[in-house]
Amino acid sequence: MPKHIVRLLLLLAGFAIVAITVRNHVVDKSFYKIGHYRADAVAEIAQDKPKFQGSASCESCHAVQFTAWSKSIHHSTDVGKVVKCEVCHGPGGGRDPDPGYVHAATGPVHPVNLKLAVPTDSRTTCGVCHEQIAARPLQQRQVVINDHAGTQQCTLCHDAHSPQTFNGSLVATAAPGNAVAGKSKAGACAACHGAAGITNASLPGPTLAGQNQAYLAAALTAYKTGKRSNPIMTGMAATVNSADINNITSYFSSLRCETSASIAAQAAAARKAGAAMCTNCHGTNGVSTSSSWPNLAGQSKDYIAAALKSYAGGQRSNVIMTTLAKSLSEPEIDKVAAYYAGATCK
Amino acid sequence: MDEKEKLEKQQAGRRAFLGCLGGAVAGGAVAVTAGSVLPKQALAAAATTPESPPAPAAKAYDPTKHKWAFGVDATKCIGCLRCVEACKLENEVALDAHHFRTWVERYVYLDGEDTPHVDSQADPVNIAAAGTERDYRFSNRYKDEKVDKAFFVPKLCNHCTHPACVQVCPTGATFKTEDGAVVIDHTYCIGCQYCVQACPYGARFFNPEKRVTDKCTWCYHRITKGLMPACVEVCPVSARVFGDRNDKESTISKFLADNRVEVLKPETGNAPNVFYVGIDKDVS
Ligand code: HEC
Ligand code: HEC
Ligand code: HEC
Ligand code: HEC
Ligand code: HEC
Ligand code: HEC
Repeated sequence: MPKHIVRLLLLLAGFAIVAITVRNHVVDKSFYKIGHYRADAVAEIAQDKPKFQGSASCESCHAVQFTAWSKSIHHSTDVGKVVKCEVCHGPGGGRDPDPGYVHAATGPVHPVNLKLAVPTDSRTTCGVCHEQIAARPLQQRQVVINDHAGTQQCTLCHDAHSPQTFNGSLVATAAPGNAVAGKSKAGACAACHGAAGITNASLPGPTLAGQNQAYLAAALTAYKTGKRSNPIMTGMAATVNSADINNITSYFSSLRCETSASIAAQAAAARKAGAAMCTNCHGTNGVSTSSSWPNLAGQSKDYIAAALKSYAGGQRSNVIMTTLAKSLSEPEIDKVAAYYAGATCK
Repeated sequence: MDEKEKLEKQQAGRRAFLGCLGGAVAGGAVAVTAGSVLPKQALAAAATTPESPPAPAAKAYDPTKHKWAFGVDATKCIGCLRCVEACKLENEVALDAHHFRTWVERYVYLDGEDTPHVDSQADPVNIAAAGTERDYRFSNRYKDEKVDKAFFVPKLCNHCTHPACVQVCPTGATFKTEDGAVVIDHTYCIGCQYCVQACPYGARFFNPEKRVTDKCTWCYHRITKGLMPACVEVCPVSARVFGDRNDKESTISKFLADNRVEVLKPETGNAPNVFYVGIDKDVS
């Protein structure tokens, strides 16, 4: 064989050896095992530790929150609408920091070495799903946050884990009493609250007829304990003994209220102007959505206005009404008062 | 030396070799990228300590037995963006407004206009509403306008049957697994970003920290353990559906059977595996 051919062959052989060595060095063993990729990479990617643990994992230690939540509207499994614990509190697991490309199968788990946050700004936490915005479908209940909550946190009223349950300070209950027995004790009240619990311009007290019993009972108890005070009523309430409260309030609650219909014409405008943030609790028609909250329908305009001013001024206090009343100007107070005074009673 | 460490060393060596080669032959961008990855790679090798060998993942899982698919019911989406947040946390995606594995678009048709206004959580107005780039929120920017029609569309990688991104990858770093997920082998990715440009859906992005391309994996580390992807896990209204098409009882099989579904940009021939209900002609 001519020398130059041998040299060429040797060169080619040398090149082949180098090429094969390089290839063995460079290409991973698992490359081409399945396809044009490193088969081992699949298992490496699959190895990462999941962070979100699922709501069921929280039950064993946070039974109180879990039970409340699992019975609430945020756990409507039948329609596939479930707001999971970790949506509001963040994932219950973490992953060890990933140096470069290494996948981490380990990491902290709550509660051992990972703390979970308690949301403090519920206007944001709840607002991401409930703020009224364009494109959000109507089946999702939405509120105009400033109208609905003023400057308050949602959790002031809504229980975070059972949003249709309201905060304790908003709930009052009273055992139903005997209205007939109550009537016999209510004689003294007529002087100021009217003969059938319906007041008029010449009487100092508000209408009690048709008012929610739980609210009336809570109000009387508040006068007795000094939580609410009024030069007239504090003394009057002291004369009512605790056993009679349920009877008297049942009596007034069973009476029918009356409407001063003359102001009704103003109503529509008044409602537009200011009552939007009241209707969630006091209803559009002045009949409250909860039996522990006072009805406003048929109440005298002056009393409603006075009550709002005493909330704003601090003479009367309530976790919700105080801030709401402070946000109203005097003309606004007059407008809503007129509106509710003109609303039809139940 | 355990297997993992060996692999790491081997890869580091290979990278160095490629780096020199690239530098000598091509010069240019590829070499710069590969070169700048090197220190981290070495660090990775050093950090793998023998006393915590990573458990061999998902032994029982057999990829040939599954065929994953994803469904989106846009009529249910409330645009809360919890999916975006969950995805970022679960997958350690950079916590800024411009890197996303999944995102949500809002289409708004104002009265008298034919073309929609489209925004996503990365829109400056929405970032301003959220207050920070780490919180995701749609602002109430259309409250004073007359809106004809509006809806949200969650988006993510379509895990196509014929993925254009896989075709263009020069190193075999991105590929379609046997069970249908399109994933990236970050140890092989050289950060050239051809795939980012090839994807017709904009589903890929460059991860500037790791200097590699990143994308949705359908939370491969979760689905191989029998869990749902993080975005599906947190969706409060079941607008996102995921499951195994081989299982006729799975939510996705039922979703596909019960709905008339469509895919995004069918004309590109990528054959997506994310199926949509309730989107409009302008969504692509
Ligand atoms: C093994 C028991 C356990 C499990 C499971 C558990 N937690 Fe906890 N959690 C605790 C303990 C103990 C604390 C108090 C720890 C501390 O203060 O550091 C705590 C604290 C919290 C707090 C903060 C409470 C506060 O007042 O500061 C939240 C929120 C919380 N957990 C949510 C969750 C959620 C959500 C899950 C499910 C993903 C969960 N936890 C699962 C035991 C548990
Ligand atoms: C819709 C959002 C939301 C969801 C879902 C939710 N939480 Fe909470 N959680 C809150 C908020 C807000 C607070 C703070 C309550 C407050 O300020 O009154 C809280 C407080 C807590 C606390 C602190 C103690 C307390 O009650 O104040 C624990 C523990 C807790 N949550 C556990 C859970 C668990 C477990 C689940 C799932 C079963 C869950 N949470 C689901 C919003 C949520
Ligand atoms: C991740 C989204 C999400 C978050 C966060 C969230 N919700 Fe909800 N909420 C829902 C969904 C979805 C429903 C509807 C459930 C249904 O229809 O069965 C709902 C229902 C409600 C309802 C009942 C509405 C009705 O039908 O009358 C109230 C009240 C409510 N949420 C209040 C809250 C409050 C308060 C918070 C904050 C503590 C909150 N939500 C946080 C998604 C969310
Ligand atoms: C001042 C007390 C209060 C505050 C603060 C408050 N809510 Fe409410 N919310 C209510 C009451 C009362 C209802 C009505 C209950 C009913 O109608 O049965 C209600 C109803 C709702 C409903 C159901 C509305 C519907 O159309 O059925 C949602 C959703 C809601 N609130 C969300 C929120 C969110 C989000 C926040 C915080 C931004 C918040 N609420 C703050 C008292 C409050
Ligand atoms: C001397 C007049 C007077 C008499 C008698 C009187 N009240 Fe009153 N009552 C008032 C006044 C004035 C108010 C408004 C006080 C306020 O603004 O806090 C009031 C308020 C009330 C309230 C709160 C109503 C609300 O809507 O918050 C109740 C309940 C009540 N009275 C019950 C009674 C009962 C029961 C009796 C009989 C045992 C009685 N009152 C006798 C003057 C009277
Ligand atoms: C979240 C529920 C809620 C909202 C919203 C609300 N209220 Fe009230 N309101 C209450 C509760 C509870 C009471 C009883 C407070 C007490 O016991 O002192 C009350 C009491 C009142 C009273 C005193 C009634 C009486 O018989 O003494 C007036 C007047 C009143 N509200 C007016 C308004 C007006 C006007 C608005 C709108 C600006 C409004 N409220 C919004 C819950 C609400």
